[in-house]
Amino acid sequence: MCGIVGYIGRRDAAPIIVEGLKKLEYRGYDSFGVATLGMGIDLVKHQGRISEKACTAATLKGKIGIGHTRWATHGIPNDANAHPHTDCLGKIAVVHNGIIENYADLKRNLQSRGHTFRSETDTEVIVHLIEEEYARKPDLLIAIQAVVPKLEGSYAILVIAAGEDRIIAARNASPLVIGVGDGEFFAASDMTPVIEFTERAIFLEDGDTVSLSKKKIEIFHNGKPVARSVELIDWSLEDVRKGGFAHYMLKEIYEQPQVFYNTIRSVDPGALPGKIRHARSVTLVACGSSYHTGLIFKYLLEATCGIPARLEFASEFKYFPPPINDLVIGITQSGETADTLAALKYAKSSGCATLAITNVLGSSVTRVADIILFMRAGPEISVAATKSFIAQLAILMQIVNSISEMKYDDVLQQAHKAIEEVLLMDLSQTVTACKNAQSIFYVGRGPFYPVSLEGALKMKEISYIHAEGYAAGELKHGPFALLSPETPVVALCMPGDTYSVMISNIKEMKARGAPVIAIGTDGDRELPDIVDIFIAVPKTPLFVQILTSLVIEQLLAYHTAVALGRDIDKPRNLAKSVTVE
Amino acid sequence: MQAIILAAGEGVRVRPLTRSRPKAMIPVANRPIIEYVIDALLKNGIRDIVVVVGYRKEQVTRFLNGLGVPIDVVVQEKQLGTAHALQCAESKINGDFLVLPGDNYIDSQSIARIKDTPNAILVKEHPNPSNFGVVLLKNGLVTEIVEKPEHSPSFMVSTGIYSLKKSFFSHIRGNDITDAISEMIQAGEQIQAVPADDWQDAIFAWDLLKMNRRLLKNIPMAREGTASRQTIIQGPVNIGRGTTIGPNTVITGPVVIGNDCTIGPNCCIMPDTSIGSRVTLDPFTFIGDTIIMDDTAIGSHSRIIDTVVGERCTLADHTSVSTAAGLMDIEGCTIRSEFGAILGDNMASGPFTAYKNCIVGNNVTIEGQESISSRTIPDGSMVI
Repeated sequence: MCGIVGYIGRRDAAPIIVEGLKKLEYRGYDSFGVATLGMGIDLVKHQGRISEKACTAATLKGKIGIGHTRWATHGIPNDANAHPHTDCLGKIAVVHNGIIENYADLKRNLQSRGHTFRSETDTEVIVHLIEEEYARKPDLLIAIQAVVPKLEGSYAILVIAAGEDRIIAARNASPLVIGVGDGEFFAASDMTPVIEFTERAIFLEDGDTVSLSKKKIEIFHNGKPVARSVELIDWSLEDVRKGGFAHYMLKEIYEQPQVFYNTIRSVDPGALPGKIRHARSVTLVACGSSYHTGLIFKYLLEATCGIPARLEFASEFKYFPPPINDLVIGITQSGETADTLAALKYAKSSGCATLAITNVLGSSVTRVADIILFMRAGPEISVAATKSFIAQLAILMQIVNSISEMKYDDVLQQAHKAIEEVLLMDLSQTVTACKNAQSIFYVGRGPFYPVSLEGALKMKEISYIHAEGYAAGELKHGPFALLSPETPVVALCMPGDTYSVMISNIKEMKARGAPVIAIGTDGDRELPDIVDIFIAVPKTPLFVQILTSLVIEQLLAYHTAVALGRDIDKPRNLAKSVTVE
Repeated sequence: MQAIILAAGEGVRVRPLTRSRPKAMIPVANRPIIEYVIDALLKNGIRDIVVVVGYRKEQVTRFLNGLGVPIDVVVQEKQLGTAHALQCAESKINGDFLVLPGDNYIDSQSIARIKDTPNAILVKEHPNPSNFGVVLLKNGLVTEIVEKPEHSPSFMVSTGIYSLKKSFFSHIRGNDITDAISEMIQAGEQIQAVPADDWQDAIFAWDLLKMNRRLLKNIPMAREGTASRQTIIQGPVNIGRGTTIGPNTVITGPVVIGNDCTIGPNCCIMPDTSIGSRVTLDPFTFIGDTIIMDDTAIGSHSRIIDTVVGERCTLADHTSVSTAAGLMDIEGCTIRSEFGAILGDNMASGPFTAYKNCIVGNNVTIEGQESISSRTIPDGSMVI
């Protein structure tokens, strides 16, 4: 998981690349580097965040350049391991996103032929391989086309060489888009760095190599020239800016009513493909937060439509025999999550119908799955998923609605109102109770069990407080031993099937002295008397209760992290989407 | 030229409508008041705009983000006063600047008149000057400014719109701009008084109806939704995307209707009515001289006049509102008023509820068959 940017054109490349890398920081922020083509290759690279120490990089001269912001996979984050990497003579520079799986073999061979390696990364083998080919025939494009077949694994690379007025790009299983400007070209891991300059983009296919010069773009697939269509991107720069909000996360939380409404309106439940509406059993594959949406979907689908649903972590899916004729649904916000992509490919190769739910048009998953449903969340910058989570739920709830013959049309059309309502709630008392805790437990039953998992995930992700979600009934089978007056419990206690037994669970927890924060509904008479803090969400149907309690948990995690002074949008050790298995 | 828009205050006298949004964000003719202010600035070529937010700042910021013009946002954490709000934006100011309240309507001609006169106040005559900063003039210069006097010596009031120089900050003493202006006058500086053409402030919630009447005069005609052929539409009427209007509905403009509404059949919408997005009007309902905000549903056979209905309300069938004059107790003052009803966000009332000259808070539930007149019902109440 890294971000790469390249520029060739009439302007100075370095400032454009530096700004672009700042926008890609969500993809990784361990180290950064920029190389430009001046008289030779000029290079600046550092450990740390580009937003904090970009000053030297932006002064490099030259109209051609490449840059990289890193999320370390091979080799610790330090200056030497930062990209771009250069060959032995310092004439060729490369940036790379992905993992070269056979790099150890390649490296041994290269070293035996006298190449010196300056870093511990897998990437450096690429540049030395190019060096050898380039020495044989000084044409950068041909050299790279000769190197690419030797590489196993995933890569999106950008290469420049002294004396060549062009950038060569290649991709396989890692994202790369080309932005087409007037007399200038951009290459980047996604559209965010490019959108400021042009709305025209070319999405590359796996196995493509591209030559970008000031005047023209040439694309090759397996050595043969091919044409790829230019697409218009309708995200505006405004969409990707933080606006006046203190953090992207808060901005995205506040966009949720609109995102939910837009997504609901964008999926016509009556017109979904028959493979979805007549599915007899469903398997979901997902990672992280998406796994929690999958689990909520499982509860809703099985309870309201009677259709069996199986849910697996995408990374574990391949260790089971594939389902026979299920509909397999892959959920990935970025469309690039490597595990989910692999799982969908596996399902497809076993003859299953595949559906992908993603937020990114033109992302890798859209080329894998049979059916694609887009969430209308817009770009999500904060590492902690908020609006994309709500948008995923919107699509999954529409699927439930579709299978149950539009029974929930009204509920879903009205749901955004309740989300708007809970955004106004004051959680300061709860934040005070949580911010000094060592551990926080989240408990719920039924569909509120995944809701509590998600609440705990959000809390640990951004506030760094240890938090765990449990099915309320499971608490007694072990975790009860951890309860004390220092461990607040967030209990989801909504009217419905789970209410009465939740009440008795809460009483048990109170008896162990744990402070209980309950999320319930307006007008509840019993709950406020037995808990320490009562958070009342509007009285709504089950589907909407799930949404509102999620939003409360997001806000609680956000405000707690703010109170603790955490780096909300870029929590330590995390990257936005995980493109390695 | 820069412009600083002050949108941090709640607007307590407009409660209950300001619970979920500051006064600047209340929709009038379907657009938040602050949007008219920004429009007037853009028409004058003023693009360097800073908005000071505070109360419910997320709501304002989210709205500004969607505008498509870059706008700077600064936060005033505690709402101490207008001068303090301005100080929050001080680091962003680099020369002469305008200050405008985000919750008053102002036309672009008035801004054109003041923007090139540094050290000036835009003034306007008002029949009830005691709610404003009253300005005393001599030869076009301000001699004195008195904030909310009990017995006003003049009908000329400050609109809260100033054209100032950066040196203004050295005169700030208290927390309000008017104090600083008085200080400047004492120090011998000349403050021009520039008359405004068209300026509207809503001091109390019912004043929004007057502002609504005024702003509906400028709406463009547009017909994006689908209207049945048996619909009769007269005058300037603006209907948004995805709205459907059933047969035999009569709409007499000026009327603005937002997106994705469902109206009729057999409804009657009379002049000076603004209807937000996703609103449902059931058959045989009559609406006139009213603001209805987003996501509200009104049952059949209802009659709603002279009323502001908040977001997400549900009024059941046979709701009726009648206009009456009466005395309202607002923030400790007794104010004479004449209107139908002010209904806060997310309230619900049952069938056959009658309203007359009353303010109903947010999240109120009224069982029905009630007659509510000359009362203020606090937030979250249940009327049985």
